[in-house]
Amino acid sequence: MTEPPDDPNRESIPLLLARTSRRAPAGGGDGAPAPAPGPVPPPRSSLRAPSARADKAGTMGYLRTRLGAAGMLVGVMLVMIAIFADMLASDFPIMCKLHGKTWIFPNVTQPAELVALGAEAVDADAEWKLPTLVSHGPSSSTAAPLLPPGAVKGHPFGTDREGHDVFARVVHGTRTYLVFALAAVVTSLLFGGLFGSLAGLFGGATDALVGRAIETVSAFPPLVLVLGIQAAVPKATVATLFLAIALTRWPEVARLVRAEVMQVATRDYVMAARALGASPLRVLRKHIAPNVRGQLAVLGAVGIPAVILIEASLDFLRVGGPLGTASWGETMSEFRDAPGAWWLLAFPGVFLFATIVALNLVGEARRESFDPRAR
Amino acid sequence: MLGYALRRAIWAIPTLFGVSLVVFLLTTLLPDPTPDGGGSASEVGFRLRTDELRRARFLDLPRFLNTEPHDVRARVEDCVAHVVLEDDDAQLCEKRLSQIGGAGLPHLLPHLDNLPPTARGRIAVALAPIALRMGVVEQRELADPGAAALFWERFWEDRSVDFTAPAVRRSVDRLVARGTDLREEELRVVDTFALEHLVEAMRLTKDTNALIRLTRLASHVTGRDVSVKTGDDPKRVRAVVSDWLSWWYVHESDYVLLQGGAKVTASIAQTRYAKWVLGAATGQLGLSTRDGQPVFDKLLSSAPVTLGMALLALLLSAMIAIPLGVIAAWRRGHFVDHATALLLLAFYSLPTFLVAELLATFGRAADAGVVLPVVALATVSLSIMTQQQRASMIEALGQDYIRTARAKGARTLRITVFHALRNALVPTVTLAGVQFPALVGAAFVVEEVFGIHGMGWETLRAIESRDAAWIVAVTLLCAVVTTACLVTSDVAYGLLDPRVREQQIRRRRAT
Repeated sequence: MTEPPDDPNRESIPLLLARTSRRAPAGGGDGAPAPAPGPVPPPRSSLRAPSARADKAGTMGYLRTRLGAAGMLVGVMLVMIAIFADMLASDFPIMCKLHGKTWIFPNVTQPAELVALGAEAVDADAEWKLPTLVSHGPSSSTAAPLLPPGAVKGHPFGTDREGHDVFARVVHGTRTYLVFALAAVVTSLLFGGLFGSLAGLFGGATDALVGRAIETVSAFPPLVLVLGIQAAVPKATVATLFLAIALTRWPEVARLVRAEVMQVATRDYVMAARALGASPLRVLRKHIAPNVRGQLAVLGAVGIPAVILIEASLDFLRVGGPLGTASWGETMSEFRDAPGAWWLLAFPGVFLFATIVALNLVGEARRESFDPRAR
Repeated sequence: MLGYALRRAIWAIPTLFGVSLVVFLLTTLLPDPTPDGGGSASEVGFRLRTDELRRARFLDLPRFLNTEPHDVRARVEDCVAHVVLEDDDAQLCEKRLSQIGGAGLPHLLPHLDNLPPTARGRIAVALAPIALRMGVVEQRELADPGAAALFWERFWEDRSVDFTAPAVRRSVDRLVARGTDLREEELRVVDTFALEHLVEAMRLTKDTNALIRLTRLASHVTGRDVSVKTGDDPKRVRAVVSDWLSWWYVHESDYVLLQGGAKVTASIAQTRYAKWVLGAATGQLGLSTRDGQPVFDKLLSSAPVTLGMALLALLLSAMIAIPLGVIAAWRRGHFVDHATALLLLAFYSLPTFLVAELLATFGRAADAGVVLPVVALATVSLSIMTQQQRASMIEALGQDYIRTARAKGARTLRITVFHALRNALVPTVTLAGVQFPALVGAAFVVEEVFGIHGMGWETLRAIESRDAAWIVAVTLLCAVVTTACLVTSDVAYGLLDPRVREQQIRRRRAT
């Protein structure tokens, strides 16, 4: 079963699908798109003669490729920030010599000996040190609360209501969010893939059951379902939040996998494989999986910003439960109690926005390379 | 056409069933209620209060199948057994017997003789409150176990004729038709045995005078102080009656005898799931633990706020999205098209709470006006609707009839609006139905930021105070609204475009 292309009810409408009537330059491509050879027939669906602007083959395609690349770049930067969060902001320096002992990467390992001494003592007593970019961790509250950016040296983004360094919060929040979203998306892909392929392969009662389950879960607005689960469980933790979000995401995956499996299962080569005695599992792995993999990647790419959005909203509403050391939504929610402190909203907000835009752009670019309709 | 609409509505039934299951499972996650004020677990009063709270959520019933549905006889026998054994529950059971009251007497008094003497005495004394409620005896006459047992024996000899369902029903009917104090006295003697018929009469009658007597009688025999007073306004009368009906819904099995077919039905009906679903379907969603008000009433006052806001936002975003999509499609590949695409991506990626917070801060209207919240909400669906409008417009512009119109010399504006837009609007309009639930979800955030007291605001307060009933009700309502929107949207799509209708039916058959 494939969704008809004109049915808007089931599929999310891809953004940025600015389709020109001509083909965008073939995916990947080698540099600048070549102008279409010969006299170009006017696009069928346009009322006017195409202007010179539109005539430069695939302006939009070019732009889109560029935007996709830019999104990818920002995405990679965010991942780097997440990985090297400890190098950017930590209570301890990257390296230091203290009381005759040389410490390497105490910012990552957080050795108990130094923690006992305290960050300030380490700072003051070190014979030499290689400090991190900002020498405050996300949880240390040594500074005065609500310092605006630049008011005090060492707090480039200011401090929040508890005197935490906002830069450290934002940087470590990147790690929290990306790890969480990635894990939630991978989980939903696993579950969705499992149930979708079961439904597609076996059909009949299994399919009906999975189909109803998909419809049921999609009947809840995601935020409401996650709120409900977080409120209902005896003790809301990161684990429950994680499961709740994965629960809201899997139907989308299952729907896609199911449709794809059903479609592919009727192809001749699959029939041939079956006739040769291949087990359903082998067919799934060798013949069907390669067809679905690309689309799953797209779902993963657009799933991450969606998860981050829900997560940030919950943190902002302060119902997410303790997520980790730092989170953007939490910092932003403090703005509501301190309305003048724009930096609490601005810096995490910019990071959040940039993350979502970048990942959406990547998702769009990925989608186009797998969706022939989008070309 | 009606057939199609009906068929589409019927497809939603499994979904609704699934929704009810999911929300029901959500309720099973909720922690067991504990009464305020504390108390030791062995104290009878504390246990009775705990039981009451648990029963209000049907936690005393099995989840999906009740192999031994309880009725009044089973409860009485259970209690008697405990008293005879004189175990830890004996005291509690004596209290329960007096609560079950007159309805339990036909299953208790005839067998009183067969009990060991001490147990007989204890039970006879425990039943004293019933006799006092009936007004047939003085307190001191029942203080001694022997005398009490003798009293009940004689009581049953004299009065057992009164404890028959047809007789009591007739009495209740007469009380409703022409209420006199004498008839009330008469019913008082059968105590809770009349409760079933009293509640039934409450359900049926609209007469305030009759309701005064009925609720007074019911209050008297149950010890609940919920009754209609003379001079109450109709609203309060209705509230009292619905209070009694929901109380009866929970406690029915204490007073009613199950016989024959009713026993079979009860094995399904007397379960937590069935009770909860039927209650929810009839608007009995329990009491909010935060402020003690009925959840249904609170929903009635707060849901319109949220749903109305979402509707306004939908209209607003449609008003912007449709022209924008048309222009983008019309000027496809031009600057306008690219600019809108980029702008929409930005809107799509902006978190709702950030938009709302920014608008609330810079709009300086955190406590006034519905404009800013609606604008903040509208950004949620703007992008998707514009993209849909643009895509369907492009498709429409590519059709042959457009070229024909063009060839016949129709003007561009005419073609765009009359020929293309008419067809291209259909998917967008139906998309609106699907966007509505997303807007309801987003409204939760917007309400919190702007301090609007709708469903979302209430929900967040409920989460803070762990108000289980409210959370469950809201989750259920949202899912039902979503399903309804989906059905409406599909039906509307089918109405507007017969091709889609056929396609949907075919697709359903295929699955």
